[in-house]
Amino acid sequence: MLEMLEMEFMQRAWLAGLIMAIICPLIGSFLVLRRQSLIGDGLGHIAFAGVAGGALFNYSPVLSAAVATIIGALAIEVVRVKLADAAEMVLAIFFYTGMALAVIFTSMNKDGGFNLGSVLFGSLMTVSSSDLYIVAFLGLCTIIFVILFYRPLQYITFDEVSAKVAGLPVEKLNMLLAILTALTIALSMRIVGLLLVSAMMVIPVACALQTARSFSGTILQSICYGVIAVSLGLTLSYYANLAPGGTIVLMNTCFFGLSLLLGKKKTGQGAPPDKCCCCEEEEAKGED
Amino acid sequence: MNELIKIKDLGFDYGEGWVFHKLNLVIAEGDFVAVIGANGAGKSTLLKMLANVIVPTAGSIEYAGVPISKFTEWEKIGYVPQNPARQQRNFPISVREVVSLGLMRGNRLLQRLNCEEKQLLEETLERFKLVELQHRKIGELSGGQQQRVFLARAMVKRPKILLLDEPATGVDTSAKVGLYAMLKYINREHGTTIIMVSHDLELAADTAKNALCLDHGICFWGDVHAALKHHHKHGYFYR
Repeated sequence: MLEMLEMEFMQRAWLAGLIMAIICPLIGSFLVLRRQSLIGDGLGHIAFAGVAGGALFNYSPVLSAAVATIIGALAIEVVRVKLADAAEMVLAIFFYTGMALAVIFTSMNKDGGFNLGSVLFGSLMTVSSSDLYIVAFLGLCTIIFVILFYRPLQYITFDEVSAKVAGLPVEKLNMLLAILTALTIALSMRIVGLLLVSAMMVIPVACALQTARSFSGTILQSICYGVIAVSLGLTLSYYANLAPGGTIVLMNTCFFGLSLLLGKKKTGQGAPPDKCCCCEEEEAKGED
Repeated sequence: MNELIKIKDLGFDYGEGWVFHKLNLVIAEGDFVAVIGANGAGKSTLLKMLANVIVPTAGSIEYAGVPISKFTEWEKIGYVPQNPARQQRNFPISVREVVSLGLMRGNRLLQRLNCEEKQLLEETLERFKLVELQHRKIGELSGGQQQRVFLARAMVKRPKILLLDEPATGVDTSAKVGLYAMLKYINREHGTTIIMVSHDLELAADTAKNALCLDHGICFWGDVHAALKHHHKHGYFYR
C-alpha cells in the first residue's frame, strides 16, 4: 500500500480519484432522486461531440467539452420543463444528437488531435498536476454550492411544485444544478472517462438508497460508498494491472449487490399512533 | 369578515377550449371552502392558479388586494398537492426533513433554521403527533399518516391560507374522518382560511362552510349544502 503511494503519479491518481468520489455522488444524489440518472450519459455524449469539435477547430478539448456540455445541460433543462411528461425522450434525443455530432466532427477531422480511448475511458494514472488543480477547484465549488443551497435543492428534488409555491427560484436552482452537472462531466473526462463518469454519479447513490433513511443520510452514505469503491478499485487496479476506471465502477457494482442485502435486513419500527391531537380534541367535542 | 381572496372573471384554457370561464368569487378570511365537481372540471387547475403554479388565461386573482403576480408573502400560503408522496414511495427523506421543508422561504435561501424555526418545527411535530415517526422514511407510512405529514409541512409556518388538492386521496375511511376533523380544527382554532378540492362530498358537507361547484363550465358558489345539492342535480351522487 505504502509502496504504491510513494509514486508521484499514484499520489495524483489517488487525490483525483478521491475528489471525484466525493463530488460525483454529491451531484448524483440530486440527479438520481429527480429520476435523471441517465443525464450523465446524455451529457457525456454531448461532451464527446465537444471534444471532437474542439479537435477539429483547434480548441482545448476540456474547454470545448465544458462549453458543449453546459449548452447541452441548459437546453435539456429548458426542454424538460416544456415537455415535463416526456423527460426521458428528451434526454434520448440529446444523447443521439451528441453522438451524431461527434461522429460527424471525427469523420471531418483528418489530423486526429485527440486520444479517443482516453476521452471515453479516462486515464487516471496519467493525471497531470494541472488536471488535479482543475478537479480540486471544481470539487471545492461543488461542495460550497451544495452546502449553501442544500435545503432549497432538497426541496426542489422532493417536491418541485410545492417549492415553487413557497417562493423558491426553482428555475434558477435547476439551471445552476445543470451547469454544475455539465462541468463535473466535462472536467472528469480525463479522470474516469465520459462513459464511466455517469456510473460514479449513479451507482454510489443507488447503494445508499438501499440503506439510508433520510436525505442527508443518502448523500453521506453515497459519498462513503464512492470513496471506498475508489480506494479499493485503485489498489486492485495497481496490483492486478487492471484499468482503474473500470475496476472502480465494478467495485461500485459489488457494493450495490451488498447494499441490496443490507437494505433487506432493515426492518420497520413499532406501530405509530393513528391520530393526532387535533383529531382527539375534535372527537372529544363530538362526544360532548 | 375581511375579504381575503378575490377572483375576478377567471378563466383557464389548456388549448382545447375553456376549462372554466368568467369565474367570480370573493373568499372571506376564516372561510372553509370545498371545491367540488366532476373530473376534468378544473378543480385542481383553480387551486394551482391560486398557488401561482400556473398563470390564468383570463381574469385575475388578488390576495388581500394585491394581484397574485405582485404577491410576495408566500409564507402565508400553505399548499398540499395531490398525492405528494405516491410518486415518491422510495424517496429517502425522513418525516422530520419533510416537515422542516415547510419552513423554507424564497427570500432566505441560504439560511439555516434559526431557534424560533426549530421551536416551530418541534411544536408542529408534537401537535400532529409525528414525534415518534420523525425519523421514519415518508414512504414507510400509511396514506393517512403521509397526508398528516404533508399537512404538518403546510402548517409549520402558521399560514393564513391553506390550499389542499384532494387531501384524502389514497387514505382509508377511518383515517379520512380523522383528516377532515383535523382540518375543521385548524380552521376553527387557528382561523386558517382553507380551500380544499374534494371528492368526499359527505365529509366535505360536514366540514366546509361554503363550496364552489364546478361542473363543465357551470359554476355554483354558496353555502356548502346548497352547492352539493346543485352538484347532485347535475347528475352526481349526494345524500
